[in-house]
Amino acid sequence: MMMESALSTPLQSPLLWLIPFLPLFGAILNGATGRWLKNNKVVDLIALGSVGVSFLLVVYTFIQLMGRAPVDRSVVQTVWTWLSFGDARVLGGVTHNTMAWAYKIDPLSACMGLLVTGVGFLIHLFSTGYMADERNNGQYYRFMAYLNLFVFSMLNLVLGANMIMMFLGWEGVGLCSYLLIGFYFDREYAAVAGKKAFVTNRIGDFGFMIGFFLIFMIYGSVDFDTLMGMTRTILARPEITLFGATHAPTWWFNLIGCCLFLGACGKSAQIPLYVWLPDAMAGPTPVSALIHAATMVTSGLYMITRMNFIYVNAPVALSLVLGIGSLTALVAASMGLAQYDIKKVLAYSTVSQLGFMFMGMGAGAFSAGMFHVFTHAFFKAALFLGSGSVIMACHHEQDMRNMGGLRKYMPWTFASMGIATLAIAGIFPFSGFFSKDEILWKVFEGWYAGGSTFSLVAWIMGMVAAFMTAFYMVRLMVMTFFGEYRGAGHDPHGHTVPSEAHHATHDDDAHGHDAHGHDAHGAHAAASHDSHDAHGHGPSEVPWNMWFPVALLALLALVGGFLNIPHSLHWIGSSHFSEWISPLLYQAHAHHAHEAAPAMEYILMAVATLVWAPAAMLLAWVWYGADPSWARPRAFVKRFPELFEWVNAKYYIDEFYEAAFIGPCKQLGAQLWAFDTWAVDGMVNGAARGTLVVCHVCHWFDAKIVDGLVNLVAWILQQFAQGFRKLQSGRVQNYAFVMFLGFLVFAFWKFLA
Amino acid sequence: MEQLLAFIGHYMFLLFGLLAVGGAVALVFSKNAVHSVVGFLFAMLNVAACYLTLDAEFLAVAQLLVYAGGIVVLFLFVVMLVEMTKYKEKGLFQLQTPWAVGMVVVGAAAFLGVFWKTWFGPNAKVALTLNEGIVGTLKVGSENAQAVSRGLFADYLLPFEILSVILLVALVGAVVLAKTERV
Amino acid sequence: MVSMNSVLFISFLLFSVGVAGVLIRRNALIILMCVELMLNAANLNLVAFARHAGTVAGQAFALLVMGLAAAEVAIGLALVVALYRKKDSIQVDQINLLKG
Repeated sequence: MMMESALSTPLQSPLLWLIPFLPLFGAILNGATGRWLKNNKVVDLIALGSVGVSFLLVVYTFIQLMGRAPVDRSVVQTVWTWLSFGDARVLGGVTHNTMAWAYKIDPLSACMGLLVTGVGFLIHLFSTGYMADERNNGQYYRFMAYLNLFVFSMLNLVLGANMIMMFLGWEGVGLCSYLLIGFYFDREYAAVAGKKAFVTNRIGDFGFMIGFFLIFMIYGSVDFDTLMGMTRTILARPEITLFGATHAPTWWFNLIGCCLFLGACGKSAQIPLYVWLPDAMAGPTPVSALIHAATMVTSGLYMITRMNFIYVNAPVALSLVLGIGSLTALVAASMGLAQYDIKKVLAYSTVSQLGFMFMGMGAGAFSAGMFHVFTHAFFKAALFLGSGSVIMACHHEQDMRNMGGLRKYMPWTFASMGIATLAIAGIFPFSGFFSKDEILWKVFEGWYAGGSTFSLVAWIMGMVAAFMTAFYMVRLMVMTFFGEYRGAGHDPHGHTVPSEAHHATHDDDAHGHDAHGHDAHGAHAAASHDSHDAHGHGPSEVPWNMWFPVALLALLALVGGFLNIPHSLHWIGSSHFSEWISPLLYQAHAHHAHEAAPAMEYILMAVATLVWAPAAMLLAWVWYGADPSWARPRAFVKRFPELFEWVNAKYYIDEFYEAAFIGPCKQLGAQLWAFDTWAVDGMVNGAARGTLVVCHVCHWFDAKIVDGLVNLVAWILQQFAQGFRKLQSGRVQNYAFVMFLGFLVFAFWKFLA
Repeated sequence: MEQLLAFIGHYMFLLFGLLAVGGAVALVFSKNAVHSVVGFLFAMLNVAACYLTLDAEFLAVAQLLVYAGGIVVLFLFVVMLVEMTKYKEKGLFQLQTPWAVGMVVVGAAAFLGVFWKTWFGPNAKVALTLNEGIVGTLKVGSENAQAVSRGLFADYLLPFEILSVILLVALVGAVVLAKTERV
Repeated sequence: MVSMNSVLFISFLLFSVGVAGVLIRRNALIILMCVELMLNAANLNLVAFARHAGTVAGQAFALLVMGLAAAEVAIGLALVVALYRKKDSIQVDQINLLKG
């Protein structure tokens, strides 16, 4: 289906603005009154209620969309005109552009909206249980307010009808991630992690802005429908000249694609801007689930799918996306192999899976990449929330070496996380199989159907990453849920480490344990925990509002795959999702069904799900599960100690960044500060001194000259008076003399004249 | 002898006049106050003589009575009162003396210069000589007193009476001024 | 007989000597006497002009002036006496209370 200039008849809806604004009102209400009211139930009601109602509204709109013809599937609402300016000089002349605060629900944004509000609601529900400590120390309202604010920003991003709305949401989620990661702002590393996230995001945003500006310069509009419609015309031009540089349209599209992808790298944690995501685990676990599994990190992918009309015509950009995506997938998966913190493993897993999604995009399979976004949201959120439950149950313990055997204590959580692990490993018929293997197939096809060897290299990297993914996930499950619980001091094989849960600098610990100058053994943990649920003897299952969301997400991870069965397996079901979003994809050429060997596809799928992933899982089981003493991993580490150290330290990339970029920036800042103190303050002081000198001069002038003149006048008068005084001698004879003199003068004058 | 007398008679006035001036000069330039008073007296006498030569006998006698008899005596009394007979004054002349003398001389010269023609001009003698015809009307000699009294009591009675008032006032004033302070 | 000329001359001389005396001397009495001189000079003039004009008014007037001079001398001398009582000296130089 070719896309014409605009959708024929979008439906105008007066309700769309409520979808993002309800959470905003919730955030404002909670933020303004929460501290004062001190009623956690009211905070819950407002926060959960707003997101819940938004979710229902999105469902309602989705149903409306389903009832319309594919070409008409668009519900819009323009809330107000944001920017309206006169003539802007763009390519092709002059445009009178109006940028409106408008929302558009079409198939893609409806799915994203469902995801954001649905998963957001589940995470709000989970937080009511997880943030139990905060409920007691008065910080709860703040957390809920921030979560609502995040949902508002994310909804703006996905429901926005033009690029400036997307940018608004883009920046908003960056801000909210800073607020939420640094939620425990009194702990230094949490604050630092928040800053790191924000700054790294901003570097990406710079790229996004450049791309945004270039699009505006070339197209003259930022509205998505308009952009999609005008692309054909733009491409038909022989060349485009901007800022004195003249190139073919494809060159410009490549540039735009690369700039926008830089933004996506920042948001979606790809190389080189992924460094913030592992550190972001300093925030509470629901935050990690919401932001770093389901929503914010997917905004980059959403952006690429929205801008597919650019990317489809920008082969260089697509290659860049593919290369970076596959590299990230591999590197991050390798880092996940050597982590002990449960959340860090999941964090690297997220980065790696995002790399997979970008691989899909880079191979031109936008719908496959987007589908992986959704399935990943399900199972990764389930994994994060499940790990949150585990952490909660183990009294804020996060190191896997101090866990174990939790299968007995937390059956629901174990089952949910198990399903999610199978999904992420790509086992049929879990959802991860359908999405991840689709991506790998598309990448492979890129080479197999006559493309470059670059695609083959990317495919190989992806396969290795998939192997590693399955390995470390099973490692995680085994270490956490199998064997014996090592947290209560029962550690026959000596795996436990000094638990950070009892250190002053622990991640999730809301209470200062600094008072405990504690020597580190988990055995004494129980006695020093005053305000936890008094389980001195071991973990137990978490309350319903915590395991229920995990279970629900795991269920979705189980069945969600059936929404997008690839074409080759069409007897199972149809590719609903691909068809659903295909009206939004720019078709450069007629979509030809790949007659090229469904056989190859079957082979690869079978290998992946029956051989490759199970092999990894088996390996992990053998290494960690079958042998509780973990002899083999330990031998491996002993044999390659530097390798292990290097991987464990994340290849020292953070240190490299610090030395190469951050250090010089700080030095520059110090220089500028010195200049300011010296020169600027010097000028101010100099001005002060100058004024003082001028004052002295003026004073001298006033005292000597002005007063001198006045005194001179007085002196002259005085001299006159002295002179005249002599005339009045008081003696009559003198007066007679003068009279006579006067008479003479008179006589002379009269008679001689 | 007659010619001599006629000659002297002609210039009698000048003689007495110059003598009067001499007395005046003595008055001004003498150190002793009594000498000054004597000079004054001399001048008064000579002025009386001048009056005589001018056919004003009554006036001459009045002058003698009033001035030489009354005023000079008064001056002498006061001189004796302030005991100026005993010592000489210190510093006779003022600081302004040179200037004053100079001025007077200048004034005199100017005056003379102005009236030179009148006094010493060609027609001076004629103009300034007394007309013979008028002499008779003056009734000099035996009738001067009558004439003066007629003038005084008939034509100029009012000034005469006022003069008497002035004299009274002067009398009272002099008494008041010269009275000693009573405690 | 007597020319007007000489009378005027003499009276003029007498008058200027009187003026000079008023201006020169410090002694109050001498000054008063010089004032009398001036009056006399004026009297001479009056008489001369009366004679020249053939009227007796001048002589009457001169008589009046004489009376007036007497009154004035009386007052003047009374003043001198009072002054002498105050200051014990009749130097006009010392009468300078109004000196400014």
